[in-house]
Amino acid sequence: MNMSGLRSDPRLIYLLLGLVITVPILTHSVLPVPVTQTTQALYDFIQKLPANSLVVLSFDYSTSVVPELHPQAIVVTQQLFTLPLKILFVAQWTDGPALADAVLEAVDKGNKTYGVDYATLGYIPNSATLLGMTADLHQFFPVDTHGNPTDTLPIIKEFPAAKQAALVITFAAGEPGLSQYLQYWQARFNIPVAVGATASSAPGYLPFYNSGQIVGILISIRGAAEYEILIHRMGISGATSAMVAQSAAHLLIVAMVVFGNVVYFVGRDRKKEGAK
Amino acid sequence: MSSTKRKMTRGELILQILIFSLGFFYAFVYYVNVSQPIDLQAASDQLFAYLTAMLTAAFAIGIINLTRVHVNNIKRKRPAWRYSIILIVCLYGMAIISMISSPFAIDPTGAVIPANLIDAVTPIWEFLYYKILVSINSSIFSLLAFFIASAAYRAFKARTFESTILLVAGLLVVLGQAPIMDLVWPGFSAIRAWILSFPNIAGQRGILIGAALGILAFSVRRLIRYPWGR
Repeated sequence: MNMSGLRSDPRLIYLLLGLVITVPILTHSVLPVPVTQTTQALYDFIQKLPANSLVVLSFDYSTSVVPELHPQAIVVTQQLFTLPLKILFVAQWTDGPALADAVLEAVDKGNKTYGVDYATLGYIPNSATLLGMTADLHQFFPVDTHGNPTDTLPIIKEFPAAKQAALVITFAAGEPGLSQYLQYWQARFNIPVAVGATASSAPGYLPFYNSGQIVGILISIRGAAEYEILIHRMGISGATSAMVAQSAAHLLIVAMVVFGNVVYFVGRDRKKEGAK
Repeated sequence: MSSTKRKMTRGELILQILIFSLGFFYAFVYYVNVSQPIDLQAASDQLFAYLTAMLTAAFAIGIINLTRVHVNNIKRKRPAWRYSIILIVCLYGMAIISMISSPFAIDPTGAVIPANLIDAVTPIWEFLYYKILVSINSSIFSLLAFFIASAAYRAFKARTFESTILLVAGLLVVLGQAPIMDLVWPGFSAIRAWILSFPNIAGQRGILIGAALGILAFSVRRLIRYPWGR
């Protein structure tokens, strides 16, 4: 096999990667997934919330990261709907309200009633609104995403200000996202914050978890798979079935790196011998 | 670079005073709690809320600018002008369909947009958004995996001592992230957790603190003197 050919024409790598991703998904293979500490911490925090606490879910991602963050949003929302909690759905990204609707379609809402137990408030255009809603939700969201005046919703009557929240969870693909909640909600009102993160941004969030500013982190689709196990709803978000494909892709990448290094060192030694 | 300092014009001086006053006000209110005779915290929040109106205006300017650029592309038949037609059609088409399918924002009483039109347009919006936009964007983002695999083979080499450390740490984190490796040896997860919790956090904290100090210094410089005209 011509190694320099593989270097300039990566089609074989693409083909291999395509195969290792599609075959496990098509065969519905499942793997046991150990639960990591950051995931367990979020699950435990939510389970221990007092009854009738307000939880704010913030959809701070766009359609491009749906495969990574949408499963997280589904599993966390499902857990919240099984507990006696009140839930508000907001979004710092324009795609967020539509993605929140998709999550609400995917979960089992049990006996929760719209307007009483949960409500979708829609898009938070900027930090000014994010800060203002901590004092008065109705002022910044006069209507919900269905056009209902928010001052008529029982959940808003019960919680007129977002600073009453017992937890905010941001599913964050970047900015605006976690840092806004840390600055305007956590630092000022001591509202606990958790984050659903992409694999690439999670290492940057870990210092905040370590310092206690974040109560839990879901990392990538693996975090969603771990959560499916914790809430005993295997398959609800499709994350568990993606784990075999993800594992296979990771192993292939590791194999390609090792193979690339072997080729590099063999080539370097041959060059040295040729020079002698 | 010229070392000569230009004298500020009267307008620039007024703006500079405004920038300094507002910047100083926000910094002061953040650190000092003043509630009497006026609640400075509330005043600061109220002032901050006016930003919403300004940012909304900026958003409108962005749309107007985008339209002007692409309409000019089409009029003058600049290279790839056909893509400009697609952009304009998608931009306004999706905006109109979105407004009709969520009419409360523009027609809260339901007096203008008939209910049967809303019922007809909503499935179109749902199809365009959930079936087209989500699929296209997810596919494009997923292509990253293929580029990473190819780049890993070509570029991730143990050429130096530092790159070898990076390579080994990277591989261990990738292996620890793959649940299948826990079946092989649970130690992979523990190693990944250690790398992320200690060396990673130490590095990230350094970056965060460095960036914060840089932003602080930059902000103070801007508050004291904005580089007008440069």
